[in-house]
Amino acid sequence: MLELVDISKHFKKIEAVKALNMFIEQGEIVGLLGPNGAGKSTAISILSTLIEPTQGDVRFLKKSVIKKPSPLRKAIGVVPQEIALYPQLSAEENLLFFGRIYRLKGSTLKQRVNEILEQIGLTEKRKALVESFSGGMKRRLNIGVAMLHSPQILIMDEPTVGIDPQSRSYILETVKRLNKENQMTVVYTSHYMEEVDYLCDRIYIMDQGNLIASGTKEEIKQILSSENTISIQADHWSEAFIARLKDHESVTNVHVEEKEITLITPKEVNLFSEIISMTDKYDISLRSLHVKSPTLEDVFLHLTGRALRD
Amino acid sequence: MKGILLARIREFIRNPFTFLLFTGMSIVFAWVISSLNVGEGGGGIPVPVYVEDGASDYQQSLEEQEAFRFYEVDKEALQEELREGDADTGVILSVDRFDILVGVESPNAGLIQQTVQEVYTTDMREALIREAADAEGMEADQVVSSYQEAASEGTFDLSVHSFSGEESWQYDDNVHRVGGFALFFAIYTIAYGVVKILTEKRMGVWDRMILSPIKKSEMYIANLFYSFIEGYLQIIIIFSFFYFWRGITFNDRMIEILLMLIPYALAIVAMSILITALVKNVEQFNAAISIITVSLAMIGGAFWPLEIVSNPVLLFLANLNPIKYGLDIIQGAAVYGYSFTELLLPISILTLMTVLFTGLGIHLMERRHI
Repeated sequence: MLELVDISKHFKKIEAVKALNMFIEQGEIVGLLGPNGAGKSTAISILSTLIEPTQGDVRFLKKSVIKKPSPLRKAIGVVPQEIALYPQLSAEENLLFFGRIYRLKGSTLKQRVNEILEQIGLTEKRKALVESFSGGMKRRLNIGVAMLHSPQILIMDEPTVGIDPQSRSYILETVKRLNKENQMTVVYTSHYMEEVDYLCDRIYIMDQGNLIASGTKEEIKQILSSENTISIQADHWSEAFIARLKDHESVTNVHVEEKEITLITPKEVNLFSEIISMTDKYDISLRSLHVKSPTLEDVFLHLTGRALRD
Repeated sequence: MKGILLARIREFIRNPFTFLLFTGMSIVFAWVISSLNVGEGGGGIPVPVYVEDGASDYQQSLEEQEAFRFYEVDKEALQEELREGDADTGVILSVDRFDILVGVESPNAGLIQQTVQEVYTTDMREALIREAADAEGMEADQVVSSYQEAASEGTFDLSVHSFSGEESWQYDDNVHRVGGFALFFAIYTIAYGVVKILTEKRMGVWDRMILSPIKKSEMYIANLFYSFIEGYLQIIIIFSFFYFWRGITFNDRMIEILLMLIPYALAIVAMSILITALVKNVEQFNAAISIITVSLAMIGGAFWPLEIVSNPVLLFLANLNPIKYGLDIIQGAAVYGYSFTELLLPISILTLMTVLFTGLGIHLMERRHI
């Protein structure tokens, strides 16, 4: 349905996206996962025809849309990362404004505005000014505006940044419902691994402009099928202990957080007893030590040596 | 396009603060500075006068003078005002003489003396004419009236020409103040309207509109048209205020002047879009617009008449300045009484600026993906 073919994008000397290939089929939720600065937003802007790639092609229904973007533009609704709304207008006035921009008129426009307000749970707040909204309400309205013209494809660029868990959960449920009930195709970018894990059928993982993995969740997690993810938890760490882990020949990746260290090791190697003796040696009071099932975060760690939110 | 205009109007209704602030400031500045220049209540430099018995006719004649405002006080009050420095110069009028009392040295004293002297001389001359007419058995009033008529016509025809760089020039302080401040503050109102394009681009609203069926040209036209209307409306309000409440008539050509100022407002819209295209963010725009607007006002003659400027560099820069041409239109119509045809030069230059700045501004904005 929608494809990015060998897309590259340069901004002066910075190569934001390098030879990216992606495809999106009708009715699926595709996730684009990566840390900040990975090139996700640039990829999304190219996908939605807002910027032209330096190289490569964007195809919608097998036709290039770089020079003639209108067929794709009619089919997509874009939820930008920013709150792209008029703060001094009410929720209803914002929807009416963007509806008019999309050439909706009269009773059709009013009906669509009512439906959207219902879908995003803001019917009660329709007359309130956007500037008085909480972050979560603004995000919901931001999504609602993109759905006004009933697009086939909803492209969402980090739609849950900076909001409370309740609003986040509401947004995720709304996206899931739109996909199930309306068969809406969704492209969802995030640096929250758990959101992508929860929502998406297929995932593309980007880092520093490169596509480093793609496939279904299961396929991606299979990358770690021959490896174990070991979690060590303690109150504090010593530099020598961390250095010892990093130098260990059987440890492929080490990620250190305040109270948890995650290691990736080959499945056939059992490091448990060695880790316990090391904690004794370096005077670290161990709280827990266990093998985890691999997550997308672990895959990212395995592929890049860094955590998603580094 | 209609949708964008409606949204901007609704936003304006919700937050008219910037517009009201700049409109209010131009009215206050023009009013206060104008009042400071003409003294209390207007009508010229105030001069206290003590009138002795039988000299009230002289006082009446003096009250008709425009340059000074002669007002009657008693002798003690006159002395008190001079002693306290409330007045520089005072006058005592008697039947056959007058005294000029000078409190502090002032260049006005000589002019006041000349003015009072002229009233006495005229009166004495008319008295002599009456006497002579009576002696000849003629109608004294008729002779005096013929004399006054002949005197008012003058011996020679005098014509003064000045508009751009001629030897002499005319100046109407009130018209200049109102025009100068109206044009100056309109720049802020228009610029803060145009910069919304930059804000909307940063907010992502612009991208949303690009993805919609609306054309980019419609987006630009709607935003620029709205900014023009807001700025132009402000100019109309300021002119109307001074026309209806302060009695400044603009040579009875206010509507013509306002129509001829349309190219000025358009040129400012165009200049604002060029500035918007050159800056990277709203903070830079705010800094730039403050510096540019004040410089334009000073160089373009919004605060003082350009005729008193002699520096050739400043005069050259003034020729690149829309305020100068806006003021040329106002002064030309209200002070010099020029016709529309005679004002086509500043109108054409403003139109040229509009075309150049708009083209360059939009081109830069699109090329830089601001």
